[in-house]
Order: sequence, then structure tokens, then C-alpha cells
Amino acid sequence: MRIAIDTGGTFTDCVCLAAGQLRVLKLFSTPADPSLAVMDALQQLDAGKGLNVRHGTTVGTNTMLERTGARVAFVTTAGFEDTIAIGRQTRARLYDWFAPVPVCLAPRELRFGVPERVSAEGKILRSPTDEELAALVAAVRDSGAESVAISLLFSFANPETEQRVEAALRDLGIPVSASHRILPEFREYERASTTVANAYLAPRMQSYLLNLEENIAAQYIGGRMDVMQSSGGIVPSRLAAREPVRTVLSGPAGGVIGACQMARWAGFERIIGFDMGGTSTDVFLADASAGGAERTRESVIAGVPIGVPMLDIHTAGAGGGSIARFDAGGMLRVGPESAGAEPGPLCFGRGEKPTVTDANFLLGRLDSESFLGGSVHLDRERTEQMMGQQKGALESAEEFAAGILRVVETQMEKAIRVISVERGHDPRDFTLVAFGGGGPLHACALARALRIPRVLVPAVPGALSAVGILLADVVRDYSRTVMLPGDAIESLAQEFGETKSFAELEQQGAEEFAAVGLRGVPQRTLDLRYRHQGYELNVDFDPQAPAKSIEAFHALHLQRYGFSDAERPVEIVNLRLRMIAAGEHFVPRRSELGIGDGRAAFYVERGVFLDGRFRPTRFFDREKLVPGDRISGPAMITEYTAATLLPPGSSAQVDGFGNLVIAVEDGVRA
Amino acid sequence: MIPNASDPVELTIFQCAVHSIAEEMGAALRRTALSPNIKERRDYSCAVFDGSGKVIAMGDHMPVHLGSMPMSVAAAIAAIELAPGDIAILNDPYAGGTHLPDITMVLPVFLHGSSAPTFYVSTRAHHADVGGRFAGSMGPAEEIFQEGIRIPPVRIVRGAKLDREMLDLILLNVRTPREREGDLQAQIGACRVGEQRIQQLADKYNPRKLQTLIDDLLDYSERLVRSELRTMPAGEFSAKDWLDGDGVTDIPRKIAVLLRLDPEAGAMHVDFAGSSSQVAGSVNAVRAITLSACFYVLRCLLAEDAPATAGILRPLTLETPEGSIVDARPPAAVAGGNVETSQRIVDVLLRALAQAIPNRIPAASAGTMSNLTIGGVDPRTGEPFTYYETTAGGMGARSGLDGISGVQTHMTNSLNTPIEALEYAYPFRVRRYGYRYGSGGDGEFRGGDGLVREIELLADGQMTLLAERRKFQPWGLQGGEDGEHGIAWVTKAGTTEHTELPGKCSRQISAGDVLRIETPGGGGWGKS
Repeated sequence: MRIAIDTGGTFTDCVCLAAGQLRVLKLFSTPADPSLAVMDALQQLDAGKGLNVRHGTTVGTNTMLERTGARVAFVTTAGFEDTIAIGRQTRARLYDWFAPVPVCLAPRELRFGVPERVSAEGKILRSPTDEELAALVAAVRDSGAESVAISLLFSFANPETEQRVEAALRDLGIPVSASHRILPEFREYERASTTVANAYLAPRMQSYLLNLEENIAAQYIGGRMDVMQSSGGIVPSRLAAREPVRTVLSGPAGGVIGACQMARWAGFERIIGFDMGGTSTDVFLADASAGGAERTRESVIAGVPIGVPMLDIHTAGAGGGSIARFDAGGMLRVGPESAGAEPGPLCFGRGEKPTVTDANFLLGRLDSESFLGGSVHLDRERTEQMMGQQKGALESAEEFAAGILRVVETQMEKAIRVISVERGHDPRDFTLVAFGGGGPLHACALARALRIPRVLVPAVPGALSAVGILLADVVRDYSRTVMLPGDAIESLAQEFGETKSFAELEQQGAEEFAAVGLRGVPQRTLDLRYRHQGYELNVDFDPQAPAKSIEAFHALHLQRYGFSDAERPVEIVNLRLRMIAAGEHFVPRRSELGIGDGRAAFYVERGVFLDGRFRPTRFFDREKLVPGDRISGPAMITEYTAATLLPPGSSAQVDGFGNLVIAVEDGVRA
Repeated sequence: MIPNASDPVELTIFQCAVHSIAEEMGAALRRTALSPNIKERRDYSCAVFDGSGKVIAMGDHMPVHLGSMPMSVAAAIAAIELAPGDIAILNDPYAGGTHLPDITMVLPVFLHGSSAPTFYVSTRAHHADVGGRFAGSMGPAEEIFQEGIRIPPVRIVRGAKLDREMLDLILLNVRTPREREGDLQAQIGACRVGEQRIQQLADKYNPRKLQTLIDDLLDYSERLVRSELRTMPAGEFSAKDWLDGDGVTDIPRKIAVLLRLDPEAGAMHVDFAGSSSQVAGSVNAVRAITLSACFYVLRCLLAEDAPATAGILRPLTLETPEGSIVDARPPAAVAGGNVETSQRIVDVLLRALAQAIPNRIPAASAGTMSNLTIGGVDPRTGEPFTYYETTAGGMGARSGLDGISGVQTHMTNSLNTPIEALEYAYPFRVRRYGYRYGSGGDGEFRGGDGLVREIELLADGQMTLLAERRKFQPWGLQGGEDGEHGIAWVTKAGTTEHTELPGKCSRQISAGDVLRIETPGGGGWGKS
């Protein structure tokens, strides 16, 4: 039995397959010890023998955000101990004389130098003696470090010395993270930073994951656990515990996979995901025909650069709880300050400052009865009065509220632009998949602003991450920096003998998969660039036709940056291998479409503020809609955790899986 | 509150949109450029201008370009009638430039078949060599003719077609033509990315609405500055500070300022009367740089998310004596004015402001970019190379906060070249890169420490250093101690004999020589 469990800030969502159908369970999270809710959920779902738990966790993210990780020792080439703190020697805020002093995860007294050097060509120029290594081990032991990160200069080019240092430090009995394993790529700061983040997370994540797996194994015979990584692939918890830096965005990654999967079933290959929560909004882009969700190796999590591949999830600092205000110049600003759960928005009765949720409420876009099943009382009088007091020079509280929504939607539009237009994608080719508490409410307005023709609100918007975790493939990424001329591309297809070919990476991957009883399928790509450029483009590599990668590179460069030059020499920077073992095969049942207008789900008509005035709008209960039902805007479709707004001119149809498929403009078929 | 037409929502939307265009241009430039100085260190700026050449958005790149990019656009407009598909190129400091390595391109954006441009987009990048007497074009020259090729505003692209003859003329005058060609190509590409995005944006508005939004955006920035200036005390505040020398002689050069704050009008008058006359060496700043320094200081007084538009300068009146070190005239050499004198101008402005608003002004930061250029032939490939890098120092301490160590301050925010990128690209071996502990000034709040960097040459070459704060240390404030001054050494191959290098010099150095640079610490704040 396989159960996916996604631990979030408020809810712990669980999904499993029962009799060919998805079964969903929602519990309140237990932030002090997240495993309590996990174990509780397993019991409620009647988990039995041979249990396989797949887990999405926020332990890593929170450890980074709250800075509650281990005391990390940083070991590098002597003379470069401070590079982990210096970073790229820039300031994060260009015009701020009062920016806080950044705090390095490895403080000065925990930085250690090894007398060694490797050249750019990978030649060992100086090796540490055994005595020097022994002295290093003693110094690290005396420092009281709880975890150690090793990143020597050019260890990606020749890891031999780093391996010696690693072996020596293993004697200490604390977690050791080595950069040639975590991220064997050039740019020493980013590699070291990633390795240090790994070491910082290691003790806490290791004990959390291994204890939880132990509990599961103790309770359920043969039980074991896998973990969702930030890259969207599942790994056994033992591997996840070794490289916890790869699980920093575990939960949101589940949302990406879930959204992609739901969209694919519904027949949409190219999607922009839009997950709007209380304090922030995550957006991402995925094109199933081009390998699925976009990935990045330039993430910054809680101020720490992390270079391992992660799903390219862009976060905008605005959500339902974001506070609106006028600044000194009279411009309306929304966020990044949030009212959170405490004191919450005005309409919850305690907050003092207007939020996006209040604006939605005031404009009739939140339904008191259906909002969280009617469990929260929304105070209209208070909201109207306080919004009126803080509306500045605007005519009315409604105008203020409408302004807040337009500003917040602009910020989201900008976030989506970053991942779409700015990377050369035309939003008109995509479907917007909206989920999270606020996504479906703002989706149509955003789609119109970006000219996205279609919106998909999935059938289980509240448990999409758990669905994604349940269905994800087992995936491991391997990479190696090679720095070869483009002419050498044929050599990459060779079998052993040439250490820089794919063969070595493939062997490592196959062995790791075999150790957990899996057979992986290799997927090979290359990072290419014009010689002397600093950034690469990733293209597929086919061992049968290696030269095709070069052609693909020229074409992609032209598409992204407006020019290409077939005469210019190309450089092969990184080999990338992705080992994949397919996840559970599941195809949901598709119901026949009827012909209906959702009449049975209709429950009230109310005024909703649309296009500058309140317009009579029909409200529907989503649970009572059936496949085939077609509803035209203006309309609201409400459910437990979310509400979908259909503006005038749009229309929604319930598809065979229970998704809402919305044609955003008149005359465009969904 | 907003007194005129556009509503605040529309304005926010427009401002976000134009700002993201400038950022996007920067990303395209970085990802396609060849030289480490552009692709790794991001020594460039991209901006969007209205049809009259007023800046309406600038990416968060290099503050020293804030006030001077508009002058490039103005110079291009004045010199050439740009047609659709044209791109102008220029670097002449006396026609809209700053110093010769900064090459600027200007592209006019024509909308709806209109006869005049509605917008301009511009990219400026620091090229690691533009010819001249010293490899890297940052040496102790004595007139501009020794500093490299001087390009007045001319077309590099005509009707969407590259002017190969113009490009060849430029490339023949530089030491590393292949790298320059790639970087210039990347700049052209970035301009085109900007043009496309502007056209997409403009499709959303009718032309009159667009003009209203532009005007309102500029008014908005002006209002932000005026409301800030209204909170300041009225009065005149003067200050001075010194440059160590001009690189030709050792005579200190003065920069003096008188700041008049008028809170009633929400205005600021800045007068540099009393500053040194222009000098023989390269530390002369053109007026554009002095204006950039004022722009930067005003911008820093505002909240972090205020847009950097031309409106910020409206409450400012600036007087610069003609032919002075802050308003140089041809044929003065200017390479160092942009990187060194610009920092000192900021220091002087802050020193004056510290009398008016003591708790809001940090002590002096490193006050030099510690510019290092090295040129030669790479024995691994037989190809010429030119390397340029600035090394950060300590940030001045603030009321309530220590200064940050080893970080770029004020007029620059370029990154370091990763050692693994540097040794791959150049015949060097970095031997040490770390904090210069104890170099920050003591105080209730400590100044940030400077950095130490040691580079071993693996080939013979010409090395040029252009650095400041050797004699006059970064000052503390409110009783805080000064930061340590900067220093540089060279150790000849196979010896242990150190020779101290002057702050500004050019030397032949040989394979095996080791160069060591120690950058200044920031000043302390408050008595310890």
C-alpha cells in the first residue's frame, strides 16, 4: 500500500489509492513534531503490511528559514577559508545603507584550511601530508562542530584530494558532506554554499527522516519511506537523509508534479502553475512535450545559494494575507508584510490592516457560508468601516478594494512573466493551472492580463501536492563538469576508458538504484554554450547521434537570445544524467460528459464587484457539479478550501475528471 | 497623495513592467556575453528612457551609471537622427560617456509607425580593454588619447543590419578583438530584447495614456524625494575629502562640497566649488559622474523599492566648476574618475549629510574599487588576454549596525570572478582570498573589514593598479575610528622580497610574480 503525505504549515494532506480511486484525508499539522500527524494519518487510513509512505516535508525549508540547523565546520583549500562568507562580494540591497550584516552558516571559528591545490586542468599541485590531515581532524573535533562540509578548489575537476580529506574526517562520527558528491560543478562559492547547506540540514533532517522511517517500520511490518526532492523526483529516505539539500522544496515540488499530472490527464501539455497561499504565491512553468517542469540550478533559499537542480518555482511575496498600504509617494503597495493567521485579515475580527482577503470579501468574492465550511465568521461591517478609513484619496472602500486586487494581481502577473515571457515562452500557448486557497479566485483576471486562453482548476485543489508525491517517479540527478570543446562530443558516447563519458555516471546511477531494488532508465543531457560564455543552455544528448545536441543548441540560442552563430565554437560544460524509475501507474476514471448547466449546484445569487460595479452573480457548490456541466460567467464556484471566480465573458465546463476547464474569453473554446 | 490623472494602481503596474524590462535586458546580456567582467562580474547597466531621453527605469545594476546613462541617450539623440532598426554606440566621456571602457548602446523604439521614438532602451557594459597605452585601458594616462579608442555617438547597427565597417574599426583598436566582438553582439541582443518587450507593453495602452503614465511616474519619484527632503533640517553643510593623488604626481587632490537643504521647498542644492582643478592623471570625473553620485545619494535616502527615474533629480540643483576634477574638460584623462573619484564624491556628500541627519548616515566605506587590470598572452592558447577586476573593501559602520566586511559599496556592485572561472580563463593562480581581519575601524559599531587577495602570474604581462585610500583612510563617524588604508605588494618570482606598489601604477610583471592587494576597511560609528 502506498500513501503520500504532504506536511504543510496548516494542514497535513494524505492521498492514497483505494480501489482504483484517489482517497484524500486532511489533518491539522503538528508543527512541533510533524511526524505525529503523519503517524496519525497512517492509522486513520488503515495502513497495513508492506506500507510505502511517500513524504513531502517542510522540515528542511523551515530549518533554513528559521536558521535552526547544525553547527557546521567548513573545510576548504588553505587561504580560502573566508570565501564561504565573502560569497560574490555584492550587497543584496543596492540602495540600502542599513542592510543587515549577513550571517554565514559556517562562522569564522569553524572554517578550516587544508594545505593543498589542484589546477584548473585538474592536476594536483600540492597534496596534504598524513600529518596535516590528522591535524585537521583534531582541529575540527576540538571545534565542537556537529556536521562538516568539505569543498576544495577544483574538486569538480579532480576529487582525489577531497576524497582523502573526506575519508579522514569520517572518523569523527558526524555527518560529512563533500562538494564533489553534492555538486561537482565549477564556481567555488555556489558549490561550497550548496555543500554547507547540506551539512547544515544533515543532522536534523537525518534524525527526522530516519526516525520517522523507523517508526513506520516498527508499526507496519515491511514498512518503508520515500521522500520528495525539490527536483520533483522521489528518493528512498536513506538517500534523502544523506543529501538533505535536495529536499529543501519538498512540499511545493509535489504541487508542481501534481499540477502537471492532472493537466496531462485533462489533455493539457503546457501549463503555468499558480499556487496562491496565505503569505506567498508559487508559480512555475511546465511543458510536458519538452520534458515537463522547468528546473533551475540558481536557487536562493533563505539567502543561501543552492546549486542542485530544483524545480524552478518562483515565489512572489504576496498572498491572501498580504497587507495593503499607501507609501510616502502615494503609491498603493501590497505585501510583502502579511497579517498571517494572527492577527489575520480585518474580516476575521482581529486584524487592523486591510489585506487581499478583505478586498475579496468586500467585493463579494468570498462566500461566508462556504469559506472553510462556514467555520470562520466573516465580519462585513468591520471590514467596510476599516477599509473606508484607510482608503486614502480613493473615492470609496470598493475602489480601494478593487485597487488592492489589481496591484496584487500585477505582482503575480510579474512573477508569471519572470518564468514565462522573460524566458522566451508565450503565455498564449499555455493553460493556467490554479490551486491553493487563492489561486482559483484570481486565475481568470491573471489569465486575461497575460493572454492565457485557458484556466484549469483541478479536481482536488487542496491536496494537489500529495497527489503529485503519490504519482512522482523515482529520480536521481548526476552531473559532472567536463569543459570539452564541441568537437569532442562524439567521445561522450563512448564506453569506459574515457573517464569523462557518460558511462561512469551511468554506472554510479545504476548501482544506487539497484541497491534499493529499482531499475533506472537513463536520460542524458548536456549543458552547452559558445566558447567563453558564462551560462549554458541544456539540450538532450543522444548517444546514437551526438552531433544533434550541437544543432539543438544553436536553435535554442536563437530562440532565447535573438541570435546564433553556427561558425562560433561551442563548449561542452556539464554532462547531466537523470536516472528515472517510473512511479505508480494510475489513470483516473474518466466519466462520460453529460449536458448540464449546473442547476443542481446553484444555491444563491449575490452581487459581486466586477469591472467597476456590483453585478448579479450566481453561486454554485462545486461538490454538486457533474461532468459536462457548463457555467457562464459571471459566476462563483465555491468549495471547502477555495472559490473559483468566473468573470463575465468566461465560461467553465466540468471535465470527465471533475476539473473545471475555463475558457477565459468569449468565443474561445476550452 | 497623487494630485494628477493616473490612478495609483495603473501606475504601479506600469512601473513594474518597465523595471522588469530593464532587468530582462541585463539577464540577456549576462547570459550571452563572453568576458568574465560582464558574464561573471555583471559590470553593466540596462535602462529604459522615454521619448525625450528621461530615464524611467533602470535595472538594479551599477549605481555609477544612474545619472550618466541619460547623458549617453541625450548625446546619441543630439548627434544622430536614429531611424527604426538603428542602434547607436558611444563611449566618449565628453559626449555622454563616463570612461572609455564603458561602451553604451542606444536603441530607439518606434511605436505604431510613429515618426519619432516613444522610448529608448540602452545597455552599457564595461569592456575589459578598449586599447590605449595600458592593457585593460585603466592605466595612469595623462590625456584621453592614451586611454583607448574614443567613439562618438555613431551607428553600429543601421536598419537592423550590423555595420561591419564600424565594428571592424573598433575591433582593430583593441587588444582582445574576439572577446569584444562577442560582448558587443551580446549588447546588441540585449537592446533587441528590450525593444521587443517595450513594444509588447505599449500595445496595452493608447499613446496618450502612455505619455500620461510616463509623466506621472516621473512626478511620483519627484514627490518621494521632496517628501523625504521636507523631513530634513534647513541649513548649509559643507565637507571635504581628498584623493591620494592623480597617479602622475603624489599631490593630494581636494573634493569640496556645500550642501544647502531647503525642507520648505523639498529641495537640495549641491555646489562643488573649491574642488581641485582637473589634473594630469586619470582621476578626473566628467559631470555625468558627479550627477550619478548625487542621484545615488538621493536614491538611498528613499525606501528600497522606490523607482530610480529622472524625477529623482528634479529637486536637485547641482553646481560643478568647469574644468575641475568633478567636471573635467577635454583632453583630460578620465579612466579613474568613474571608479575612484565617483566614490570620493559620495564620501563627501555623506560627510556633509552626516551633519544634518547624523543617525541616518554611515561612516565612510572603502572608498576605492581597487581596480586591477592585467594584459598579456596566455601561454596555454597563444591568445591575448585582458583581465579586469575590482576588489571590495569594508562597508562603513551604521548607527545600530556594524559595517559589512568584503562587500561592494556605493557606486559599484559588481561580483567577484569565481576563482575557478578566473583560472580557467586566464594564466593566473589565486593564492589567497579572504578577509583582512582588523582593518575595519573600531567604534560602538565596527566598520567592515577589507579583503586580501593574492594572485600568482603564470605568464608575463602588464599589470595596472588603480586604487585609492592609501593616505587618507576611510573616516569614522560620531567618534568611530578610521578604517585601515589599502596597500598592495608584489613579490618577485622565486624570492621573498616584497615591493610595495603605489596606489596608481603600471608595471611589467613576470611569470611567477605574486601580487597581493589588501583593501581598506570601513570607518567605525560611535565611540567604543
